[in-house]
Order: sequence, then C-alpha cells, then structure tokens
Amino acid sequence: MNLAFRDVRYHGFKFFSSTLGVSLLIMVVVTIGGIIRGVILDSSTLIEKTGAQLWVVQKTGAHPGVGTFGPFVEISRLPESIYHAISVIPGVAEASPIVAAWEHVPQMPPPTRLMKFMYVNALLNTRSMVKPGWMAMPHVQRFIVVGYEPGRIGGPPDIIAGRGIEASHYEIVADNKTGFHVGQRVRLGNFEYRVVGLTRHMVGFTADPVIYMSLRDAQNYLFQTDPNLLRSEQAVARQHARELAATSPRLIPTVTANEEARLANTLYVNAIAVKLRPGANARAIAAHIRRWEHLAVYTDAQEVNMQLMGSNRLILFQLALFRDILVLIAGLVIGIIIYTFTLDKVHEIAILKLLGARGGVVYRMILQEALFMGVVGTLVGSGLELLSEPYFPRRVVATSGDIAQMLIAMSVVAAAASILAVRRAMRIDPRSVLSTG
Amino acid sequence: MSANQSTAAAPIDTPEGFAILAEGLGKVYGQGASRVEALKGIDLTVRPGDFLIIMGPSGSGKTTLLTLLGLVNEPTTGRLVLGGREIYGGVPPDLARMRREEMGFIFQAPNLIPFLTARENVLLPLSLAGVRGEEAQNRVSQLLEYFEIAERAAQYPNQLSGGEQQRVAIARALANNPRIILADEPTASLDTDRALAVVRLLRRISRENAAAVLLVTHDHRLLTEVDEVIEMEDGRIASRKKVDPEA
Ligand SMILES: Nc1ncnc2c1ncn2[C@@H]1O[C@H](COP(=O)(O)OP(=O)(O)O)[C@@H](O)[C@H]1O
Ligand SMILES: [Mg+2]
Repeated sequence: MNLAFRDVRYHGFKFFSSTLGVSLLIMVVVTIGGIIRGVILDSSTLIEKTGAQLWVVQKTGAHPGVGTFGPFVEISRLPESIYHAISVIPGVAEASPIVAAWEHVPQMPPPTRLMKFMYVNALLNTRSMVKPGWMAMPHVQRFIVVGYEPGRIGGPPDIIAGRGIEASHYEIVADNKTGFHVGQRVRLGNFEYRVVGLTRHMVGFTADPVIYMSLRDAQNYLFQTDPNLLRSEQAVARQHARELAATSPRLIPTVTANEEARLANTLYVNAIAVKLRPGANARAIAAHIRRWEHLAVYTDAQEVNMQLMGSNRLILFQLALFRDILVLIAGLVIGIIIYTFTLDKVHEIAILKLLGARGGVVYRMILQEALFMGVVGTLVGSGLELLSEPYFPRRVVATSGDIAQMLIAMSVVAAAASILAVRRAMRIDPRSVLSTG
Repeated sequence: MSANQSTAAAPIDTPEGFAILAEGLGKVYGQGASRVEALKGIDLTVRPGDFLIIMGPSGSGKTTLLTLLGLVNEPTTGRLVLGGREIYGGVPPDLARMRREEMGFIFQAPNLIPFLTARENVLLPLSLAGVRGEEAQNRVSQLLEYFEIAERAAQYPNQLSGGEQQRVAIARALANNPRIILADEPTASLDTDRALAVVRLLRRISRENAAAVLLVTHDHRLLTEVDEVIEMEDGRIASRKKVDPEA
C-alpha cells in the first residue's frame, strides 16, 4: 500500500496548492537564469553566427598593442581594400569586409498590445523616478546595420521568412525584432530599401535588432557625404587647386579629380571578418596581420568578451547576484513548505510508529511526497517559464540543461527538507497517540 | 497471582507459557521535583485467551502499564517477558516488529489515519507486516463484515460516525491476529449497547484466537462480560479477582 499516493490523493488541494507555490518559485529561478542566458546570447550571437575566427579592426596608434575595440563596441574604420591582402595570407580561407554601425530608422511599427502593456507597466513602475519627458516612447528605432559582401561570411543566417539578399542594391534582411515584414519599404538615409527576408534572434548586445544589406549599400548609407556638402566641399577643393595656376597649371585637373574622389570615397569598412582553414594557426595569423598590415586583430572569443564583459559586465553581475538571492529564497521557502508539510503529519507518523511501522516506511512516504512535489513543481514551473519566454521584451532562454539542473537541485532540497522534518517528526513519542483525541 | 500458580500445570508456568509475564515492573517519570513514580513493582501474568479488565482511579498507572506492555515505553525497573521472549534482559528483540506482528492497540480515540479509507486503515497493519495480495484483502473483508462496516469501507474516517470509527479501529487492531490486545478506555465514546457489543466481540476474538486482552475501563457495566478484574491504585495492583458471573 503506497501511503504517499494515498496521502496526496486525500490532501489533493493542500498538496497541489503547495506544489503550485513550489512551481512558481521555480519558475522565477528558471526565468532569471533564462534572462542571464539571454544577455549572453545577445552579446555573442552576432559574432558566433558570422563564423569568423579572427576579427580585424582599426588600430589607434603605432604601438602593436593598441587597437580599437571595433566593430561593435567602438568605432573602427579601415580601407576596404585591405581585405585582399588578408585573403592571401596562408591559412586564411576567407576575409570578408564588414560594415557595422548603430543607426536609427524613423519607422516604428505600431506597438503590439503586449508592448503597450509593458510600456504602461513601466510607466507605473517608474512614476516616482522620472521627470516629465523621460519616458516618452521614441518614434524611431535603433538598429545595427551590418553590410557584407554577398556570398561572403557576415550575412544573415537562418532566414525565417522571405529570402536572402540577391540584388546588389536596395534589398535588406531585417531581424523580426524590428517589427518589419517581408515586402515592406524602409527609408534609410537617402535611399529606400525593400525588406526581402527576416531573421530571428539577430540582435546586438544592447538587444537592438540587426538590418543586413549589401556592403555597397551599407557604405553608401553610412559613409556617403551629403550631396550639398559634397558640392560645397568640392568647390573648396577646386579653389585650392587653382592656387597651382602660377606654378604647375598642368596639374590642376589631376589634383582636382583626386580631391573630388577623396571627398566622395565611401570604400571603407569597419572590420574584416576572417575565416581560417581547418588546422590553421590563429595566433600566428593574427600576429602576421598585426605586424605587416598595421591592424588590430581579435579572436571571436575576444570579440564576444568585449561585448559581454566590456559592455554588459555590470548587468550580468547584477543579474547573477539577483539569481543567487532568488535561488536562496526559493530553496529556503520550498524547504520550509516541505518541512511544514511533513511536520503536519506527526500525528499520523506517531500512529504508524505505534503500529510498529519501520522507520523506512515513514521515510519512504515522506520522501516520495517531497520528491513528487519537487519534481512536479520543477516541471510545472519550468513549463510556465518556457510558455512565458516569448512575452519578455528581451530574449529569455532556458535550456533543458537548466531544467535538469533544477530537477537535481530540487530533489536535493526536497530530500534534505523532508529528511530533516522526518527526523524531527520521528522523535514523537508514539505514546502521544494514547493521550490525544 | 496465586490463582495462576495454583491452576497451572508445570510446563505452562515457565515464561514461555504466558502471553505476558511481568515481575517487579516499575516506571518513574521525570526527576527531582517533577519525579513521579507511576508504577511501583507490578507482578502480572496473563495467559493466552485471558480477558482482563483493569480499573482504578485516574493517575493510578493504568495507561503507563499498557504502554510498558505495548513496548512503547521502557520500564525503569523489572522484568518483562512477552510470548516467551525476554524484552529487556538479553539481546533486545525488534520491538517495532513485535508491535506490528503480535500486538493490537485500541485507544479511547480511534486514531485512524485520516488519509486512508476505512478499508485501507484495516489493511495497514497487514501491509506493514508484509502481508499482501488476496490473503490480506480477504482478511480485511472478513473484519469489515464482522464489524458491520463493509458498506462504509470506502469512506474516510471523517465521513464515519464515532462508533463506526471505533469499530474500524478495533478491526485494525485485530487485523494481524495479535497475540496481545491492549485497549485503553476504548468504549468511552460509545453508548452502552455499543460498548457492550465491542467488549463481547473482543471477548469472542480472545477465545477464538487465544489472544490475551487487557482492557482499561471505568465502566462497571462491562464487568459482566469478563473473567477477571485488576484493580490498580497508586501504581500498584491492589487486587486481581475473578468475576462472579452471577453477581
Ligand atoms: N509521560 C509522562 N510524564 C510524566 N508523568 C507521567 C507521564 N505519563 C503519566 N504520568 C504520570 O504517571 C501517573 C500515572 O499516569 P497514568 O498511567 O496515565 O494513569 P491512568 O492511566 O491510570 O490515569 C500519573 O501521576 C501521571 O501524571
Ligand atoms: Mg489513562
């Protein structure tokens, strides 16, 4: 006769309400873990999905140790043509010129009901913390523009709708976080682009979505001087060239052309993503690039590190501490729930002892109930967490590994709490049954 | 005491012949100012099939005596032999096992397990003793029939009347065919008819199964149903008398 099953069956409401309490606590713990993984994924996905082992960026001085932290956490700019030289280094499979920059677009899709709710909720939460105007909803949205040479690495992975970029101009692939849809026209700078495809989870470490376009489009968009400014600057250049009239009049057309071309030049990139051949020595190739090309080079791990530790360090530390607190509280509260749940049964335990039940019978009953509560609580709590993940504004990702870890931790907590409780409950003198009514 | 010695043949007088043999059993609770000498040297022999009523004023040590005999309380002094087994002298026997295999307890309150149905409560001692399957189920059905609670078998204790609960409790006490049945004021919550019925039933079981029954009660109406009465007073057995059926 399984006593645990019968106790649970009889105390259905009490048992399941306690289990629900356990589930909700576990849901919170799993959620904070998922939020932390979200921050990590946001800080790494862009680098990881590019598939480059080395990132080449601009240096900031002559010393070999100094460089920008481009392209994602600092501005880096280098001539596009450098990638040819890198392509031919032995061990390099591919060198891909990449443009990457934070931009904004004055196109904000109408907020969803969920977004409206979250905004109102944020307003209510912050009403005593902000001054007028601080919480105005922006009418522009920030994004990361990534320009890549079609056919090379750095383009949109995992297209979930539409297609990749095929034309060399005016096509973009946007992350679905932008709220754009396939076929939508989006005005960026001087040009209008058509959304031909959508990606998922392609955001930067700030959670801003990525918009992919061809390298040429990105260069035009980012580096082209305003045509009016260009005209006036070129006039100034021609003026300077005419100063050669007295000394070298025949050079005037050449100098003018050079000056005009320099002003109009957009052939810059922010980084060169380098994919190595299998077995290539990344350190040696990085050293070669630093020495002979006068550039800074980082491994993909260093690139992620810049974003994760350089930019998201404090939020990560904060979340990790908060997670500790939640784990501690959840563990304690769940322990207390199971402990009191067990101690509520001292009278029954006393009767069982009086009837000559072995200690094992009592331990088995309590342990089975506690483990059942822990396991069901973990599964229900994790299930609730997984269901709620899409409704969070930023990415929240719990894995089956997290849930397995939670199952183990909960089993330990449940076993410990119930063993402590049974040890105390077993101290009850079975004679107490004789005197109680 | 002398009654036992005079009526018994020699082999039965060895400890093995008695269901219960107690010599100089004493129990002291607490120490210092709160010291209470609850039992002061109890000598007692009970044979299989004996049906004894224990009476005496409150505080005279009746419950303490039952707990000592029921192996849920340890005597301070004295010797106790149950079914021929020395309890505190030599190698200590498995007391929990003796409780679940050889004893039945009935209390003033039914003390049923609230989350088990009437049927499961009766099954519990069998289950604890490792009796399973059809054998156990048949035994339980038999007891439920016997106590006229078969049609209430699926109910939980809180759905049963006080009398029904007490009958379930008695059925539970008898489930394992105990050699010794210890009952502490089991009829206090029952009306006269029910109380008499319970005692007659215990009487019958004790005869049929050769079980020794010790029943603590204040109820003089029950005296008509038993063989012997033990009077307790201030931790001692003041008297042990045969009941005159004519009285
Ligand atoms: N657990 C205990 N601790 C201390 N004193 C006790 C305990 N149980 C009983 N006593 C005392 O022992 C004496 C006998 O009690 P008890 O055996 O319950 O008598 P009865 O059942 O005849 O009323 C009383 O004085 C009682 O106060
Ligand atoms: Mg008493």
